[in-house]
Amino acid sequence: MKPSKSPNTGQPSVFHTSRRRFLATTAMGLVALTASGARAKLLFGTGLPWDSGSIEPPRQVLPGPWTFFTPREGELVEAIVERLIPADDLSVSGKDAGCAVFIDRQLSGHYGTSDRLYMKGPFQPGLPTQGDQTDLTPAKTYRQGLKALDDHCRRTMNGKSFTDLSPEQKDKLLTAMEAGEAKFEGPVGSGSLFSLLLQNTMEGFFADPIYGGNRDMVSWKMIGFPGTRYDYRDHVLKHNQKYTLPPVSIGGRGDWARKG
Amino acid sequence: MTRIRLAIAAALLVTASCSVIAAVMAPALADDQDFTLIERGRYVATAADCVACHSLPDGKPYAGGAALQTPFGTLVAPNITPDRETGIGNWTKEDLRRTLREGIGRGGKRLYPAMPYPAYTRMTDDDIHALWVYLQTLEPVSNAVEANQLPFPFNIRLLMAGWNLLNFEPSSFKSDPQKSEEWNRGAYLVQALGHCGTCHTPKSALGADDNDRALQGANLQAWYAPSITADKRQGIGNWSVDQLIAYLKTGANHQSLASGPMAEEIQNSSSKMTDADLKAIATYLLDQKPSEGKTLAPLAADDARMRTGGAVYTDTCMACHGGDGKGQTFLFPTLAGSGLVQADDPATLIRLVLDGSRAVATDSRPTGPAMPPLGWRLTDADVAAVVTYIRNSWSNAAPPVSAGDVAKVRKTLAQAN
Repeated sequence: MKPSKSPNTGQPSVFHTSRRRFLATTAMGLVALTASGARAKLLFGTGLPWDSGSIEPPRQVLPGPWTFFTPREGELVEAIVERLIPADDLSVSGKDAGCAVFIDRQLSGHYGTSDRLYMKGPFQPGLPTQGDQTDLTPAKTYRQGLKALDDHCRRTMNGKSFTDLSPEQKDKLLTAMEAGEAKFEGPVGSGSLFSLLLQNTMEGFFADPIYGGNRDMVSWKMIGFPGTRYDYRDHVLKHNQKYTLPPVSIGGRGDWARKG
Repeated sequence: MTRIRLAIAAALLVTASCSVIAAVMAPALADDQDFTLIERGRYVATAADCVACHSLPDGKPYAGGAALQTPFGTLVAPNITPDRETGIGNWTKEDLRRTLREGIGRGGKRLYPAMPYPAYTRMTDDDIHALWVYLQTLEPVSNAVEANQLPFPFNIRLLMAGWNLLNFEPSSFKSDPQKSEEWNRGAYLVQALGHCGTCHTPKSALGADDNDRALQGANLQAWYAPSITADKRQGIGNWSVDQLIAYLKTGANHQSLASGPMAEEIQNSSSKMTDADLKAIATYLLDQKPSEGKTLAPLAADDARMRTGGAVYTDTCMACHGGDGKGQTFLFPTLAGSGLVQADDPATLIRLVLDGSRAVATDSRPTGPAMPPLGWRLTDADVAAVVTYIRNSWSNAAPPVSAGDVAKVRKTLAQAN
């Protein structure tokens, strides 16, 4: 700010006329500083912050009825994840690994409602690098997208539903969805439903079993991922030897005592 | 000539009288303005760790403490600042002397031995005098404390007359002429000022020190304070004098990191003591050699509990404490050869696994590493197995722990948290 001259004294008015205000503001600033200073904690010499019992561990997802899907939606998603990860000589299917259960529990939690994301407008089409710019939460995408898929099937497959199709027909439709070529009615395009399904299926397949998928650490055993281990000092110097420790989940593994 | 002589005589006389006046005045000024004495009193208060009980973590020092849970009920350490209404401003030095030496406060009020007068009874008169002078210099703080919150009938202070009759006799420190001056200084610090036995000596059913098993480890407030004798399996017999000094001074040494109540002791008291005094304490403690029990054989490695415990250890503990139980000096305690790990009473060990803990942070070792709680991840049976495993691996040997033992500690912790 450029100080203007006071007409009578010739002094810069920013000092002259607002001296009282300046002092008042400074005093308020000091009060504010003191108040925030009182809340700040001196950490040096007292160690890292640590409180007994303050941990919030994830809860083990238990099998059981759907918490988000309707029975029909559950059937559809199970049929889809079974095609995205079919059972073969490497692993069980995505359905048997619990991917649909994983997706269901995620959708009924804060992921489904986008509780932790900024979800107020304006909503405008963005660049591909800007990610999803719609007001559709994952829960809405699944609810409306799965309905659109069912309708699309009945309309184009002689009244058959997705679950009635042969594996080859399912794969063909999924391939069309991936390319965005299946024309869905409603706000959710087939391409965006497919990419969300594929992403969530992979998450369910590879995430810790505590979240409902990756049953018995099946994917970790398949790719040799060690799980929740994070220190390999005992193995660093063992060159050209196979690493034999089995994977372990946040919830433990079969060799533990568990019961009791 | 005569005049000069007269002048010299007069000068001498004046000087002499001044000295006499100074000599007369000196004692009157000395006590409350003698810097050396006040500082000595401060050191006595530090070595006796008065602040630990008589202050709140965020409160004014010595203005009264937090509730102390004893097996008999709740006691609160009173305000010992020189405030006339709520502190000890009306006390005389004799009141303080009787409190410390006999457990009887001003006006004949009997103290409960949560105040470690059974240890302070051995304090020297010089130390009590210095402490008195120091306490007078504190800022008086008005803070009324209801010290006695015990339930009936324990709230009747006169009961303590009977307790004292059975368990306590005012005494004084007796030095051992056979031992060195350093050893005796250590004995005084351990037995009187440091009152180490208050936590580390097993208690009788009446809560009195069992002096036949002095410093051999005791359980209180859901912590097991391990043996601090030279017992090689359960105590600190494998530590050198220097290693013990490092522990008391910095809170960490080659093997261990202090946490829990010992962390507070180190922060408030022993980290502020002189190196000479810590050396004296170490010399005395490492000369305490109780008869060791018969040698224990570790559980066989193919025992089912050991196999299960080994799996839990590999998956949960090994990342920090290492497959060989050696940990990482100054960061993760060494479990192999640890007295606390092999103690007959596994309460602290179980507690650390269930609830985690934070090690003390001192000026020399300011990190204060923390162990996370694992009670949410491990069942009682898992904890029992893993604790049994670390108690019987890497040349350790100790009785196995049952899931019931773990359940008890878990319950105590749930009540405390």
